[in-house]
Amino acid sequence: MAKRSSSSSLLISPLSLFLPRGDTLLYLIALLSIFSLLVHRLSASPTTAQSHFEGFDADEDEDLFVDDSHDAVLPPLRSTPPPISLSEPTPESHHGPPDSDSDPSIESPSSDPDPNPSTRSASTVFDYWDEDEFEGVPQHLTPEIPVVTEKATGSESDLISPKSEVSEVAVPRKLTSYSVEIVCVSFLIMFTINYFTGKKENENLALAWASKFATRDSIFDKNFSLLGVGETEDSPLLLKEGQNVFKFYASGRRFCSGVLATMELKSRHDLISRLYSMVVPCKDEITFEVYMNDDAMDQVVFALARKKLAKTMQKEAGDLQRFAGLVAPPSGRKWVAEELQVVSESKEVAGDLITDAVLDQVFGDKAFEKFGKGFISMHFSDKHMGLNKKMLVFKFALPDANNIADMTRLVALVPYYIDLIGRYKLSSQARSKTETARLKVAQEIQKEYQNARHDTLQKKKSEQRKKMEEAEAKLSAEALRKKEAKERARQMKKGMPKIKMTRAH
Amino acid sequence: MASQSNDPRQPSAARPYKPSIVAPQDLPIDYSGFIAVVFGVFGAMFRYKLCSWLAIIFCAQSLANMRNFENDLKQISMAMMFGIMGLVTNYMGLGPRSSPKS
Repeated sequence: MAKRSSSSSLLISPLSLFLPRGDTLLYLIALLSIFSLLVHRLSASPTTAQSHFEGFDADEDEDLFVDDSHDAVLPPLRSTPPPISLSEPTPESHHGPPDSDSDPSIESPSSDPDPNPSTRSASTVFDYWDEDEFEGVPQHLTPEIPVVTEKATGSESDLISPKSEVSEVAVPRKLTSYSVEIVCVSFLIMFTINYFTGKKENENLALAWASKFATRDSIFDKNFSLLGVGETEDSPLLLKEGQNVFKFYASGRRFCSGVLATMELKSRHDLISRLYSMVVPCKDEITFEVYMNDDAMDQVVFALARKKLAKTMQKEAGDLQRFAGLVAPPSGRKWVAEELQVVSESKEVAGDLITDAVLDQVFGDKAFEKFGKGFISMHFSDKHMGLNKKMLVFKFALPDANNIADMTRLVALVPYYIDLIGRYKLSSQARSKTETARLKVAQEIQKEYQNARHDTLQKKKSEQRKKMEEAEAKLSAEALRKKEAKERARQMKKGMPKIKMTRAH
Repeated sequence: MASQSNDPRQPSAARPYKPSIVAPQDLPIDYSGFIAVVFGVFGAMFRYKLCSWLAIIFCAQSLANMRNFENDLKQISMAMMFGIMGLVTNYMGLGPRSSPKS
């Protein structure tokens, strides 16, 4: 006791000069206790120990007896650094045992032989523990207190310590138990970043193409008077339909009413598609659709593609299916490279469309190796499925932005073929063949259409009849008779000659 | 290769671009939006956190691939509602919880 008081006096004596005495001190202590309680509640981790004490804190606040509130303050004050200690020698001597007991516990938690602080803390937890009962409790209890307070962040007595251990173990467990959230949120973040980078990449690629082929003095500018998707001269060149679909329109040329180029790029903006395309390879494609004028295109059905694709096209495309067949390379003349397959109505037409110029530039054996990598397919037809019947469709693969000039020769095919098809006239033989074939197909289509109409009409009639029968069955006998009378009257009227009447004025 | 000496252009024949109108039924199916709705409903009903998070991810994909602003937004917003509802019920613990702490 003497030791404690001396140590306390050494530490606190400078403060004693400044601090007030008496009741004001008690009020200050009460205020400080409430404040520290609040701080403690806010800073402590959300363990169940917290909820354990909430009820008691309310009780403590209601309690007018200052000592208890003071006691409740002790453990939190102990966990915070001691310099804030308020108790001093003179008020100690003034007040009873509680203060003297509390004082050393604030200063030096390690050197506290007095069992009372433990009982004090215990008393805050369990009201029925009498303060006086534990005066002679052995010293082994006291070291537990500082150990417990050092361990736990929010616990205040021995009983709470096991729970504090649980909270301590639970903290590392929380991180691993959040794995789903961490993975998903990081994926979403990566997705967002990839969206913006992919979008920009696609835009750059489209702009690179447009700057090479659609700006001033480019091939499209030389061939078409109106470029772009707007109505005026200064309209924007490209129309962005999605993050990976861009459209370019050009119009104002002989033989055709316009060209629509659709760029379908890889979905670089979508992370999931990007991952999928790593497994299933995908290409950037550009499709040119040339809308030919009615008088400019003769009866031509022709397609050119790589072998596998050509077979698929011939089976799937309606007009190719009906009119055209695979054409074997003729002997005695230059033909397209081995990898390519021609699908046409007649050999003659195919031969006329595959000119020497084209073979030298793009489709011949040598040229195709160099320049034909980006070629996918070509399909000319005057009986296309869909709204526009007379169309030339070109499909090329887009190289990357740096090598966009590689497809110059492929793009040059477009105006070349517009002119070629525009000027091409079938020979009489070929025409007779094609005419008969088309007549047949037209008749078949007509028949099918008529059959379909007939079927629908019959269905309607039968439905109406069913309705009438049902209605009749519901009606009573009288109503039936009335109906029959009406019907007879109507029939009579129909049979009689019509007498016309007009008004005088 | 383009043409002979004369200019192939015919300014008189120029027609402005008319975007082809596609009926809402003919639009390509938004698979990711559909999957998002399915996962969202699963996550909300059966209290699977992973399902709710997957719903949000597929919603994000559907948003990224959105082409026609008005038509697609309805489906996407519905899927998002389901996903967020699933997340809220999983984390806020409304009602009996199937999993211990989140």
